[in-house]
Amino acid sequence: MMMGGIVDSSTDYSAPALTEGIAQVVAVEGDMAWLVPESGTSCGGCSSAAACGSKGIGTVASRLEQRRFQMVNDAGLKIGERVVVGVSENAVLRASLIAYAIPLATLLVSGGMAQWAAGHDFITMGAMLVGLVFGLWLSRVRAGQMMARGELAPRFIRRASMGETCNLE
Amino acid sequence: MEAYVLLFVSAALVNNVILARFLGLCSFMGVTTRIDTAVGMGLATTFVITVSSMADWAVGAYLLEPYNLWYLRTVTFIMVIAAAVQFTELTVKKVSPPLFQMLGIYLPLITTNCAVLGVAILLVEHKMNFIEATLFGFASSVGYSLVMVMMAGLRERLALADVPRLFAGPPNGFIVASLLALAFMGFSGMTA
Repeated sequence: MMMGGIVDSSTDYSAPALTEGIAQVVAVEGDMAWLVPESGTSCGGCSSAAACGSKGIGTVASRLEQRRFQMVNDAGLKIGERVVVGVSENAVLRASLIAYAIPLATLLVSGGMAQWAAGHDFITMGAMLVGLVFGLWLSRVRAGQMMARGELAPRFIRRASMGETCNLE
Repeated sequence: MEAYVLLFVSAALVNNVILARFLGLCSFMGVTTRIDTAVGMGLATTFVITVSSMADWAVGAYLLEPYNLWYLRTVTFIMVIAAAVQFTELTVKKVSPPLFQMLGIYLPLITTNCAVLGVAILLVEHKMNFIEATLFGFASSVGYSLVMVMMAGLRERLALADVPRLFAGPPNGFIVASLLALAFMGFSGMTA
C-alpha cells in the first residue's frame, strides 16, 4: 500500500486481496440491506457512452440498478449511506473462468471433434451450438456451487469517506 | 493440423491484435490497472470475439457473398457484434445472476472494442473456411487477453515503483506498452 509515495511496510501481503468498489444503500429490510454499486468516474465518459447513454433502458443507471445486491446489515447501515464493499480477487477470477471459459471450451472441443469426424461446416456449427448449451449448463452448476459457498457475496469493508470515488487506486 | 497450429501462433503472437495490429487500445490502456479486471475483460472479450467470428463468417458466407453485398460488411458486422454482446449479456444474466452482478459491467465495453470488428473483417478478407475463422477469432482473442494480463501485471508493479511525478500513471503505461510491442516484434517471421 502506498502512503505518500512510500511503500507502507505494515501491509499484510499474505491477506487475501480484495477487489473493492463503492455502493450506496438503497433499502433496508430487517437485518438485510440492499445496495447499488456506483459507477466509476469514467462510466458514461468513455467511447461506449453513446451505446450506454445516460438515461433509460440499457444505460449506466439501469445497468447498475440490475446489479443491485443484498448484504447482511451488521454495521447498521441507513438508506443513502455510501460504503466500500469488496469481493476476493480469486472469486472474480474464478467467476470469469466459470462464466466464459467453460462454455468456450465446450464449444471449441465439440466443434473440433465434429470437424475431425465429419468435416462439414453445418455439422461443425451444430456441434458447436450443442457444446455451447452444455457449457452454459455446466457453468450454471458451478456458479450455483460458488454461490452456495458464499464466495460471490460482496463483504462490507468500511463506510466510504466524503468524496471517495470508485477509482480507489 | 500443422496449418492450424501456425494459424494459432500467427494470430495470437506474431500478428497480435493489440501490439502488432494496434486494435483494442482503449481497453488495453483503460482496463489494465489491475490483473483481476484485465482477466475479466480478457475472458469476456475472448468469448465475444470467438462467437462473433463464427457468426460473422456465417453471415458473410451465406448472406453477403451470394447476394453480392460485401459493401455492407462493416455495418453488418457491427450489428452481428452488438447482437453477440447482447446474447452473452442475457445468457450470463439468465444462467447465473450472481455472475452477471460481478462481471456484467465489462460486457457493454466490448461492443465498441475495435478489435472485435477488426478480427471479423480480417477473417473474411483472408477467405478462411469456418473452422479456420473460428480458430483465428479464438487465437486473436487469446493474444489480446495475454497482452492485457501481461500489461496489468507490469502496471501493478509500476504502481509501487518510485517514478518521477511527470511519468506516473498513463505516460509510464505508454512507455511500457511501446517496450512490450518491441518485445513482440521478436515473433516476426516465426510462421513465415
